[in-house]
Amino acid sequence: MISHNVPRRGKLAYKFVLWFLLVSLAPMGVLGWHLVNISQNVLKEESLRNQESLAVGFAETVYNYITTFQNVLAVASRLEGFASMDSMKQERHLTRVMQMHAAVLELSVFENSGRETVRLGRYLGDTPPLRNFADETPFQVAMQKGEYIGGLQRLQGLYPTLTIALPIVETAPTQAHVRKGVLLGKVSLNGLSQMLHQEFPEKGRSEAAVVAGDVKDSFLVAHSNPNEAYRRNASIAEEILKVIMTQSQKKGGGKIELADGKSVLGAFAEVKDVGWIVYVQQPIETAYLAATQMRRQIAKVFLWVVVITLLLSLAVAGHITQPIRALRKAVDRLKAGQFEDLPEMTLTNDEIGDLAQSFLQMSESLKEKTGELVHAKEELEKFTKFLEKRVEARTRELKAAQDELIKKERLAAIGQMASVVGHEIRNPLAVINNSIFYIKTKLTKDNLLDQKIERHISIIQSEVKQANGIIDEILTYSRSRELKPETLMVNHFLEELLSVYPFPSHIEVVKDFDPRDPVVHIDPDEMRQCIRNLIGNGIEVMPNGGIVRVATELVEQNWVRIDLGDTGPGIPPDVLEKIFTPFYTTKARGTGLGLAVVRKAVDRHNGKVDVRTEIGKGTTFSIYLPLSARGAAAPGSPGPAAAPPVQPPPMRSALPPQTLVRPVNPGQTGPGGAPPGKA
Amino acid sequence: MAETKPIRLLIIDDDAHLSESLAEVLELDGFECLVAGTAKDGIEAAKKNNPRVVIMDIQLPDSSGFQICQELRRHSREAILIMMTGRFLSAEEKTQGFELGADEYLIKPFDLQELSVRIRQLLSRSRG
Repeated sequence: MISHNVPRRGKLAYKFVLWFLLVSLAPMGVLGWHLVNISQNVLKEESLRNQESLAVGFAETVYNYITTFQNVLAVASRLEGFASMDSMKQERHLTRVMQMHAAVLELSVFENSGRETVRLGRYLGDTPPLRNFADETPFQVAMQKGEYIGGLQRLQGLYPTLTIALPIVETAPTQAHVRKGVLLGKVSLNGLSQMLHQEFPEKGRSEAAVVAGDVKDSFLVAHSNPNEAYRRNASIAEEILKVIMTQSQKKGGGKIELADGKSVLGAFAEVKDVGWIVYVQQPIETAYLAATQMRRQIAKVFLWVVVITLLLSLAVAGHITQPIRALRKAVDRLKAGQFEDLPEMTLTNDEIGDLAQSFLQMSESLKEKTGELVHAKEELEKFTKFLEKRVEARTRELKAAQDELIKKERLAAIGQMASVVGHEIRNPLAVINNSIFYIKTKLTKDNLLDQKIERHISIIQSEVKQANGIIDEILTYSRSRELKPETLMVNHFLEELLSVYPFPSHIEVVKDFDPRDPVVHIDPDEMRQCIRNLIGNGIEVMPNGGIVRVATELVEQNWVRIDLGDTGPGIPPDVLEKIFTPFYTTKARGTGLGLAVVRKAVDRHNGKVDVRTEIGKGTTFSIYLPLSARGAAAPGSPGPAAAPPVQPPPMRSALPPQTLVRPVNPGQTGPGGAPPGKA
Repeated sequence: MAETKPIRLLIIDDDAHLSESLAEVLELDGFECLVAGTAKDGIEAAKKNNPRVVIMDIQLPDSSGFQICQELRRHSREAILIMMTGRFLSAEEKTQGFELGADEYLIKPFDLQELSVRIRQLLSRSRG
């Protein structure tokens, strides 16, 4: 209900993914970083060492280079007899040496005094001037110490050269070494540059150089790029010089920041004896290429791991949360009140499985309870409907009772009024009666009574009688005396009644009694009044003669029907429905109470009045009365099969028997079960 | 026998016309009729004149016919007491009247010839 308004919370699966990523990548990140650092350091170290060994190697090469020419000169100087050779011979010999060694540019021989005796040079022409070196350092060092290496110069101001000076020693088997002079050679150092060039072809900023001197006054002996070395005042970057020239170690290296902002990995090594420095450098990127590549590799792996972890954790999270989502769906369905078709939930062997199990149980119980509730509600509705029906029925009953009461009260009021009026009218009627009687008697006595007067007197008397009759009827209807029932045989009761009834001569009476002679428990006075009323009505509608049929018949088990029929004109339907209403009448004279009295009396006997009529043929009133409980086994009532047809003698009829028969109730069936429906 | 001595008869009814007409008719038949309009007058007249027959209305302004009946029966055992009424009487009422000494009931209006005959019957029976 609320969830539609509240923003949805983050999905559990996303949380899982986040945590998985964190848990798996954090250690890897830390470890990777650490590894990279370590390996980078190692690699840097290794690169440096490499550089260093390169430098050291080349320092060796340089030393060998120098040593080679040292040896060449030494061999030449110690050649047997060289000291004792004349200049010409010496010149020839040295020329051969120069031919053999291209790097030897000049060769000179000085005698003890310092005077030059032989001078050979590739670029000096055929007869170069001879010099005196007595004061020159190489000569002095060679004479005193035995060997001189130094005197770095640039040939023609461009090509670096080295001067090597050796004493020329005369070796006699018995004599000690005697220095007879000095052999001086100028050796080109271009070979070193070429060697460096071969070793460090131009690529990137990798380069190597051999430097002599110090920071202030350096001499670039060789360079991997020979052009660098073959020029005036050739030198390398000062910042590098500052580093390598101030080192006390024989070899070393490290990262050097250049003036242009770039970094290089540099290494150096000192050349033995001469003190030159071999310097090797490599751009830091190249030097650390392996480390960089390794870092890149690790980053790549890291990325892959991220991706794979992401996918894996998505899958895992999806898998873990699947039952939860299923649960959630199920809960949604439950919330909507749908208990059927819950999403399938796999009951895994863990807490979620337990939860699902509990949920299923809960939903079962919920379903059950809801079912009970619904059932209870239905029951309640049913009960409410039932109650409503009962209330309706009771209301109807009450209404009917009320109507009945109102009717009764109205009738009682009418009765009371009628009683009072009747009573009050009776006195004047009595007075009239008395007076007219007096007049008649008096006139008779005095012989004054003629026919006309007598006729009028009898009219008055007859009217008074009639008025009294009306009052009687009203009082009969309105009074409510207690019933005084007696157990009677219906047939006998009717016979008696008919025998005293003043039938006019134009009326024929037909009796058709049930031979079983039903016994009833009735108030004879009241029932007699009823029968008389009905007979009276019948007679009245047949002023020109007709048949009054009186019949009894046992119907059903416990009822007797008394039929009182006439052959009058019948009752039209609009009148028929009102005939039992008190004071309703179609006659010129009449209270309209005759049938109301019948209805009332029969009702009081728990019976029923029925009427069947056919226009032009006649009307039959049927009174249904319950049989007396004692009368059921009344003696002398034989079974219908054994009963001989009763042939009741017509009471006041002079007509032959065959005319007594008339069709009774054509097409009518007997009444239904007890008590038959109202007419 | 009627010639010798007229039979004295008392009528008690608040309806003067009725009393008068009834008296006239009965006088024609040879009765000597007294008339009273109230219970009090009736009882007084009865005590004074000793009528053989008293015809009284059950409902009177000052008393009920039953009370008069009781009073008169106490006064005379022989008098014939006839109760007259314009309405139906219940069986209990009738029984009560008979117990108090009433001899006959008349429901208004009544046949005067019958009344005359009935009175003479009652008279002859009481004499007998």
